[in-house]
Amino acid sequence: MNCEKCQDLIGDLVDGGLSREDESTLSLHLEECLACADVRNDLESIVAFCRNHRGEYSAPPNADALWLRIRNVIEAETQLAAKAASTRPPAKSFWSGWMSRSWELSMPQLAASAAAIILVVSLGTTVGLRRWDNARATGPVASSPRSEAGTGVRDRMWQQQQAINYWNQRVETNKVRWNQGMRDTFERNLKVIDQAVNDSLNELNRDPHDEVSEEMLNAALNEKLALLREFSDL
Amino acid sequence: MSIRLLFTPLRFSGAQIFSTVVVFAVLYSFSSPAAHAQNRVSKRFPAGKNVRVELKNISGTITVESWNRDEIKITASLEAPNANVSPKLMGECVSIDVMGDNRGRGDVGDVNFKVQVPQDSSVDIETRRGDITVSNIRGALVRAHISTEGDITLSGISATQVLAQNTIGDIFFDGGFSRGGTYQFQSTKGNISVRIPSDSAFRLVAAAPTKKIALGEFWNNGFKTLGDGRKFVGDVGDGRSSVIVTTFQGSITFLRR
Repeated sequence: MNCEKCQDLIGDLVDGGLSREDESTLSLHLEECLACADVRNDLESIVAFCRNHRGEYSAPPNADALWLRIRNVIEAETQLAAKAASTRPPAKSFWSGWMSRSWELSMPQLAASAAAIILVVSLGTTVGLRRWDNARATGPVASSPRSEAGTGVRDRMWQQQQAINYWNQRVETNKVRWNQGMRDTFERNLKVIDQAVNDSLNELNRDPHDEVSEEMLNAALNEKLALLREFSDL
Repeated sequence: MSIRLLFTPLRFSGAQIFSTVVVFAVLYSFSSPAAHAQNRVSKRFPAGKNVRVELKNISGTITVESWNRDEIKITASLEAPNANVSPKLMGECVSIDVMGDNRGRGDVGDVNFKVQVPQDSSVDIETRRGDITVSNIRGALVRAHISTEGDITLSGISATQVLAQNTIGDIFFDGGFSRGGTYQFQSTKGNISVRIPSDSAFRLVAAAPTKKIALGEFWNNGFKTLGDGRKFVGDVGDGRSSVIVTTFQGSITFLRR
């Protein structure tokens, strides 16, 4: 038995709660170890004093002063502990802790870890390659930026068409006030702009991703809108 | 007796007949509506530096030119007798709004304008129909907008912002591009010609679905050709000003000044 174990059991020994086997082992150690024997003697004398003087406790003359001193001692110890913590080197980061940590793996653990890594890497590669092949085979898919641009063009066209319809109605009501020359001019120019819109649309039907036609279509629709808006005031 | 006189043939000499015809012709010409046409309105305004002229017309030609006086002169020829033109001075801006001035008056016909301004003026013109000519202006802005048809001629222009737009009609620009300036020319069915000094520096975006884009000596290998020759994008010189030229059914030509 070593001293540590012995001092753990001394309390039980004084209380008489040890088995015979433990008691004999502990007694052997106490005969050989003076330090542990002193601890036992101190403890026995404290316990004996307490038993003898049970109920004879009297309060200290100035209880408040005593508690104040105790509190001061506790606070002083707390401050010391805080100072010590602040001067302590910073805790190791996760990565440095990970790197400095030593690992002990058995052969089956090592084999299982290697197999898991191989499985994850091969799965990732397979999924990635399959996606890349799909993208190449089908061209721009629904979520690609170009396709989104196509949807954007349709949305924009729809919005512009709504605005065109609105202004067109206003123009139709005002048209009767114009002279014949102005009416002819308006119709002629509207036809020219419509032609530009149709040309751009035809090009876009041929190649839905033709950015130049998309720009021209947008510009032509804007021009039509501007023409209608300006003539709706006339 | 009186009945006999009525049936008696009268004799007129050739001179009498001629003079009668002339008198009637003169009387007719003075009483015809043509006599009332082309009413003329002329007004002058004092002009400081950086003055701005805003003109909104419905139909008719507009000519703006610079002169060496610190004043603005506006001359309008009105085709219809009921048309009203009331130029207004608001701070540094002279404003003419034919549409606003004639709301509820019905058809006011053509109003042709001649506007004379100091060289450093800004000019903002728009009309529904008719040619626009602006010459020798060096202000901050030159804007010429025709909703429908009419040619736009901008010559001797040295403004930092130039905008020219029409539907049917040609656009001709003759001037210089200022560093940091923006220049935009757009026609639906018209040819656009840009005549500039050979040392001009600008970033160009030129688009014409007809593929008729001739950059002449301003072409360089740095130009990007898009849409099978329908659009050119590139820098000439250090590209410090921005030039956008678009025509749907016409051509684009760059010329050296």
